[in-house]
Amino acid sequence: MRAPAVTTPVAPTSRTLWGDAWRRLRRNKLAMAGLVWIVFMVILALSADLWVPQHFGDPERIDTENLLELQLQSPSAVHPFGTDRLGRDILSRIVYGARISLTVGVLATSISIVLGLFFGALSGYYGKILDTLIMRLADVFFAFPYILFAIALLAVLGRGYQNVFIAIGILGWPSIARVFRSSILSVKESEYVDAARVLGAGDSRIMVRHIMPNAIAPIIVYATMSIGSAILAEAALSFLGMGVTPPTPSWGLMLSEARGFLFSAPWLMIYPGAAILTTVLAFVLMGDGLRDALDVKLKEEG
Amino acid sequence: MLAYVVRRVLQFIPVFLGVTLLLFVLRAPGVLPGDPVRLITGERAISPELYQQVVEKHHLDRPLYVQYGYYLQGLLQGDLGTSFQRDMPVRDIFAAKFPNTVRLALAAIVIEIIIGIGAGMVSALKRYSFLDVFVTLSTSILVSVPVFWLGMVMQVLFGIKFKEWGLPFMPISGMSSAQFPDWAHIILPAITLASVSTAYTARIMRSQLLEVMGQDYIRTARAKGLSSNAVVWRHAFKNALIPVVTFIGIDLGAMMGGAILTETIFNWPGVGYEIFLAIGQRDWPIVMGGVIIIVFAVMIINLIVDISYAFLDPRIRYGGEVR
Amino acid sequence: MTERLLEVDGFRMHFSTRDGVVKAVDDVSFTLDAGQTLGVVGESGSGKSVTALSIMGLVPSPPGEVVGGDIRFKGESICAMSEERMRHVRGNSIAMIFQDPMTSLNPVFRVGRQVAESLRVHKGASRAEADAQAVELLDLVGIPHAHERARDYPHEFSGGMRQRAMIAMALACDPDILIADEPTTALDVTIQAQIIELMEALQARTGTAIIIITHDLGVVADIADRVLVMYAGRPVEYGTAEEIFYRPAHPYTWGLHDSLPRHDVPGKSVLRPIEGQPPSLVDLPGGCAFHPRCPHATGRCRTEVPEPRDIHSGHKAACHYAGEPGFVRGSEPGATREVGA
Repeated sequence: MRAPAVTTPVAPTSRTLWGDAWRRLRRNKLAMAGLVWIVFMVILALSADLWVPQHFGDPERIDTENLLELQLQSPSAVHPFGTDRLGRDILSRIVYGARISLTVGVLATSISIVLGLFFGALSGYYGKILDTLIMRLADVFFAFPYILFAIALLAVLGRGYQNVFIAIGILGWPSIARVFRSSILSVKESEYVDAARVLGAGDSRIMVRHIMPNAIAPIIVYATMSIGSAILAEAALSFLGMGVTPPTPSWGLMLSEARGFLFSAPWLMIYPGAAILTTVLAFVLMGDGLRDALDVKLKEEG
Repeated sequence: MLAYVVRRVLQFIPVFLGVTLLLFVLRAPGVLPGDPVRLITGERAISPELYQQVVEKHHLDRPLYVQYGYYLQGLLQGDLGTSFQRDMPVRDIFAAKFPNTVRLALAAIVIEIIIGIGAGMVSALKRYSFLDVFVTLSTSILVSVPVFWLGMVMQVLFGIKFKEWGLPFMPISGMSSAQFPDWAHIILPAITLASVSTAYTARIMRSQLLEVMGQDYIRTARAKGLSSNAVVWRHAFKNALIPVVTFIGIDLGAMMGGAILTETIFNWPGVGYEIFLAIGQRDWPIVMGGVIIIVFAVMIINLIVDISYAFLDPRIRYGGEVR
Repeated sequence: MTERLLEVDGFRMHFSTRDGVVKAVDDVSFTLDAGQTLGVVGESGSGKSVTALSIMGLVPSPPGEVVGGDIRFKGESICAMSEERMRHVRGNSIAMIFQDPMTSLNPVFRVGRQVAESLRVHKGASRAEADAQAVELLDLVGIPHAHERARDYPHEFSGGMRQRAMIAMALACDPDILIADEPTTALDVTIQAQIIELMEALQARTGTAIIIITHDLGVVADIADRVLVMYAGRPVEYGTAEEIFYRPAHPYTWGLHDSLPRHDVPGKSVLRPIEGQPPSLVDLPGGCAFHPRCPHATGRCRTEVPEPRDIHSGHKAACHYAGEPGFVRGSEPGATREVGA
């Protein structure tokens, strides 16, 4: 048997690139705090059915018979975060709300990435008229204020959880497309792609073997940040009544319901808000850390 | 200079057409699921005769490009449709609200300029100090805060708790009241609206100033024997400010869009609050009309910002390439 | 009797970095008299730019720290000067121009204003006076239509013009010393000669002493009275231009000569670059820092740091074998005898 002393020269370098990035990321305390919080929220959301309804009650069911007794209870041992106007446990709704937020965040970002990669690839790789058209379309998307565009889209599509992540996902593509396009442009002109083309590699092979590995780092960073902003967008839309429909527990919807009780029952407002803040912050810190660790330069933009 | 302005204006045309086309596509039949008639008449049940009337009145039976032509013509004449709840032209409904949104956005911009640029400068000039860490951390938190929640927290804190504690408290709703002078009403909404943008401004200002301070021409200025104050204020500040001012200008547009959340929280009678109320009533002509007004305002602001950019940066003013 | 302007005496500037202490300038000595021109030659990382910035008092601290020696300007220690006093010297008595004229001018100010700025700061000139004088200076450095061009922005100037403007800016206050850090490196070859000629012409007129820093021995050939060759932060050879050019004593200087294209010497057309890379300043080789790249290195060179030794009056070389009979440029490697090893 031959000893596996010799490996291909490519594998070790790529392994150290990601290994180095991971080592740098681990040194970044804020990013690690973000990661821990994200993992915690994911576990919470996944395990909700196992323990939440049993201990804290159903997040959606309204007990009409005992409504007066149950509603607007301040935090206690039975209901650590209190109850809402319809007597539902806030903690239970927050845990189930995490499912909605994380799902919307991940699905919307996935849609943005698929659309963004597709348009970015067309734009950057084939260039010319297609490039101009797609980039002008991106300009048009950027000319729209984000929330208003989402509202207009949802006015047409109709409200509801599915349409929310579709709308947010559609709105996110231009950023990803731009990032991907610029990575393609920088790689496309480099000599090793020329070399590959001379050797007869086809477009798809060049894309997968040469361009993707270089574009992947900025896209990972962007996607991480994008999950956070999608969560914020869902909350805002639901808050305005254009997003997730009751009785589904959404953090934004809970804040909207809390508006009437800011002074009599502030816990209705505090906990869902804190849930949004910490979760989004976790993704922002994680994204910042990844950016530094992968040494990606993204333009700071609003 | 003139060539630059003309070029910008020409570049504006495809974006304008694109935006109107997109707005049109949103309500065109058969493009997206959903019935365009529903957007005009709302979700109430209507008779087939009325339905047919609406289709004809809005040319919904004509080919799409003809419809787009009518749509564009209507928009350019300021026709934004009619509210079916209030039976009033949408344009008239917003005419009184628009200045309120502009006023709120301008107040927020002032906060953004003073605090954002100030914090960014302190942070860059005292790099790695306690203040720098504080600014960096608080900007991360601010960009993660849902603005509508921040608004509510401030309402509770400055409106209710301060009153309870016997401290000077502030109005938390509307534009005027018997109890407070008018100007006091804008404070909390403006801070809320400015929060996220101020954080971004501070971050951009910090990174720009750090970048500029490392440039060769700053070393030249030092080598001339200028004091460090003169180096920062005369040589670094103006260079660092160019991208920040661009950001703030574009942000004015973004704020008018984002104001919907702030206006909703503080019952501020602007375009956004009107849109929010219309959402509750499913009054889609008002919702779409409000969106169009803001989108147009944003496009025009961005155009003006682009052009005024030329006055700041001599490299553009004289037709040169930037960098 | 010429005035002694600058004395650099055993100067050491070290940087503390995360990876260790960088000995950017280590035990450098030279002098500069009024009207003289000194060439400082070395590869990047040889400490020549840090030496220049130290004279200007522009090395940020931290990380830079003066750990030994002194720099005296007209007898006054620069290292001991207050920031206030140093500011008065900078741009007024000692001026500096930099390598890249494309980035060394502030893009948002008119060129004339940038030239006038020193006059406003140091001479207390009014804006109108300073502007008028700036036009004169731009004219002096050979910018055509200086009156109009003073109102241009830097991006409207070509590279050569910008370097001329930099020189005008540096000469504004009639300094005693002009430090030029690679003034021609970023310019086209045809422009390079023009800039050097301009500096020579201006020197003849104003009597300004010049320190010209370059990696190109060819640049100092025409202009310098004396030459200091630096390697890895240390001086390796110091002497009159004539001696450095015709009787170089250090193998590193020989290497610089061999890597120089010479068209004036018939038959010599083969370039011989110095093998290897300059060492890391954090982890210098033991003994003579040049020994890993020196074809003549012996065991002694690996262990013992050579002290500068006098070859001739005022001509010094930091090599154990410098000045030994038979140890001359062009001698075969291996000709060195092991002395005391």
